[in-house]
Amino acid sequence: MESPLHIVGTDALRQGLAEKVRGDARYTADLKRPGMLYGRILRCPHPHARVRAIDTAAAERAPGVHAVLTHHDATHGRIDADLAALDPELRYVGDEVAAVAAETPAQAEDALALIRVDYEVLPAVFDAREALAPDAPAVHPGGNLVDGQRVIVERGDLARGFAEAAQVFEGTFRTQVHGPVGMETRAALAEWEGDHVTVWKTSRAVHAMDRPALSRALGIPPERIRVICTNMGGGFGNKDESRLASIVALLARKTGRPVRIEYGRAEEFIAGRNRQSTENHLRIGVAADGAPVAIELQSVMNAGSYVASGRNVTRRIGQGPVYLYRCPNARFEGATAYTNRPPGGSFRGLGAPLGHFALEVLIDEIAEHLGVDPLDYRLRYQVPPEGQPGQRTTPPGQHIPDEPVEGGVPFSSNGLEACLLAGAERFGWRERRQPNGTATGPRRRGLGVAMGVYKGGVGREAQALVRIARDGKAHVAVGVVDVGQGSTTILAQIAAEALQMPLERVEMTMADTAHTPPGHITAGSSTTFSTGNAVKLAAESARNRLLEHAAAMMGVANAELQGDRFVARGDEQRSLGIGEVLERLPEDVQGEATLVVGSSEVIVNAFAAHFCEVEVEPDSGRIRIVRYVAAQDSGRIVNPRMAVSQVSGGVLQFLGIALREELLLDERSGVTLNPSFLEHKSTAFVDFPPIEVLFPAGPDPLGPFGAKALGEPPVVPVFAAVANAVANAIGVRLHEVPFTPKRVLAAINAQQGSAR
Amino acid sequence: MNEPKPSDGTVEIHLQVNGHTHALRVEPRTTLLEVLRERLDLTGAKPACDRGECGACAVLLDEQPVNACHWLAVQAAGHAIVTVEGLRERPEFRPLQEAFVAQDGGQCGYCTPGFAVAAYAALRDEPDPNPLALRWALVGHICRCNAYEAILAAIQDAGGRMRSR
Repeated sequence: MESPLHIVGTDALRQGLAEKVRGDARYTADLKRPGMLYGRILRCPHPHARVRAIDTAAAERAPGVHAVLTHHDATHGRIDADLAALDPELRYVGDEVAAVAAETPAQAEDALALIRVDYEVLPAVFDAREALAPDAPAVHPGGNLVDGQRVIVERGDLARGFAEAAQVFEGTFRTQVHGPVGMETRAALAEWEGDHVTVWKTSRAVHAMDRPALSRALGIPPERIRVICTNMGGGFGNKDESRLASIVALLARKTGRPVRIEYGRAEEFIAGRNRQSTENHLRIGVAADGAPVAIELQSVMNAGSYVASGRNVTRRIGQGPVYLYRCPNARFEGATAYTNRPPGGSFRGLGAPLGHFALEVLIDEIAEHLGVDPLDYRLRYQVPPEGQPGQRTTPPGQHIPDEPVEGGVPFSSNGLEACLLAGAERFGWRERRQPNGTATGPRRRGLGVAMGVYKGGVGREAQALVRIARDGKAHVAVGVVDVGQGSTTILAQIAAEALQMPLERVEMTMADTAHTPPGHITAGSSTTFSTGNAVKLAAESARNRLLEHAAAMMGVANAELQGDRFVARGDEQRSLGIGEVLERLPEDVQGEATLVVGSSEVIVNAFAAHFCEVEVEPDSGRIRIVRYVAAQDSGRIVNPRMAVSQVSGGVLQFLGIALREELLLDERSGVTLNPSFLEHKSTAFVDFPPIEVLFPAGPDPLGPFGAKALGEPPVVPVFAAVANAVANAIGVRLHEVPFTPKRVLAAINAQQGSAR
Repeated sequence: MNEPKPSDGTVEIHLQVNGHTHALRVEPRTTLLEVLRERLDLTGAKPACDRGECGACAVLLDEQPVNACHWLAVQAAGHAIVTVEGLRERPEFRPLQEAFVAQDGGQCGYCTPGFAVAAYAALRDEPDPNPLALRWALVGHICRCNAYEAILAAIQDAGGRMRSR
């Protein structure tokens, strides 16, 4: 029988929050080193150009300037396949041309204006389909189709599925450019000591990404590079994948002084990494009884000028369409195109919210057409716990991908139905929902539902080190970064639970390559499940060694911990206090774990069902969110209060994107038009609706104490939940995010036009 | 940051911050935020937009919350500046800090000191605010983690803690 939990499942207070409130917590841009210089970056004014010549003499003579860095200084390896540390070919308005280090920020900025660049302006392309045409200007030497091939995944026989279908439904769905917009902009500080360098930076992966990238760009082995992330001011799947750290380290090497650069807000909007726009064409064939028999999604993603993790973004568009509904035949094909737009990258959920938008809106249309309540349609055809029909294709013994395609493999746990039922009950779906388009009056209410499936938290390799010191403290070292989501607290709770120690005695060390074992990237909502499992294993191993010591001290074979005493197993009279055992330890007790996370038998996925109520003004096209219920299956919830914060925050973040947020680009000049908080409006303190959060599912058998992924799954169904609620309110389908008043009015007019 | 030379077009100002007066030479274009952070190492006020759009750099200027990025240091001379580092020494700040932690009123924490400074001023002006008034009082503050619900709860909780003292 499972022993009761004492720390996992409780509302432990978020670690470090008191220091953050008091302004004590230091983020990268808060750090200073003796003699530190300030760097600034010169950015390209053309969407596509080549540097013929660059004259830095005047800038180098300017007051306070110590060095100017150009592509001539960046002679080592590349940061990424398509990204050099500095490149004479420039691919978007804002691309990095050169950098200056000076005594003050103003001096560095002034000097940028003194750098004379002779640009050869090249033809540019902004549209993804145009970029994929044979005669398009090549953004990169290998052509504009990223990797030279499309992502294709399929199950069953799509053509046969469509041939068997009684009806086929289809639609084209578009999404625009989404900025993650962490409040902290990208920042990095580098300091050399001899041939070793320390880089403090905003990061999601000090071990897995930063160190190898810097090693290539600087031409030195990774062992001579230390990377630290002290505090992250918001990750949201973003904040790497740029040249910043390499530029700073190269400037510091050239000047012999520490150098720090932090992006301005416009730089972050433009030269950070955004989720770029997509066009998704979805076809679903259903049998006479309404069951899906063929699902096909074809997507084109505009990757912008550098792809970074954009391939993965494209792949994840397909996840919902391929797996959310039980269907023997499914296929996803995604093309990723280079263009001369600002670079693409990952943002919370990658492509999943985009693919789910198409899927969950078209499913709603199918249910409406068949005269079935959209909740009932989902209850009937959602992917069941035993997974998709068909044959397993992963060879026996090999790990099952957590972006699954094949049939014949069950889930480790699947709480989708529990989410649908609990969410519907809380929301009052059965009692309150009226048929689509039957509301009347100047403000019309509507209810919508949408589901989501996402990776369950399987990272690649996870490591943890747990050391019990003789002062009674347990020191946990993991290489992953707390990007602001709270993993420090969650991992400490897991460690304390496994150690059977009070949480106050657990001390966390993270995100420093000098003091932590290698860690995976904080991405794919993987920290709790992957590093959490490693922490649990390492803590159990440390605890077992401590028990061995206690048993040896008592001269017995086995001991167990009861409260604050070690008791000899089988002889309750013999015991030692924890303090006595710790005092007599010959050395600190250590446990470590390295594991390749995952399963060769089951799929680990997280699930969600969201319910949204809107009020729409058909005359103005304005949408107001009235109520929102988010039911999540993330297995056992390690910290309910923090989990509610994360789900509520994720939903609100994506409601902002659903209704308003969109980075606009002028396609004649390549200039980004709204790179500021005033013109790119996030959800604000006056316009957020309450988000009701439910966790109706049970623990997962593979998660640490039953926990699964939580960070991204809550953002996946949001667009579709809103669109379906709008359809219910005014009988009009929205096929493009964001649902600005202009787009809502256009959709209303288009429908009235076609009805005439 | 190194002290610029007087011949560089800099001017001397006396800036009163957290009760101490600092004699500084600054370029006239230098913002109050830059002086606080880079010259005085008071990094509780965060740079996030540098144009008064997000509230992350809020400080008190003559006890009123302002965006430090929106003031030039030369303009701020002659006023009493209190940053979060000064504010936290006041006993009335304690309940705010406790309430933010108790209600989980922040995630990544980058916007949090700005919210705390503004919340301090809001609760001083209206010790028992209704939620809507509180939202409008802090309308200029953005939290991209969207911890708004918990922040609102934290400020209301802090008000309660202050009133019961």
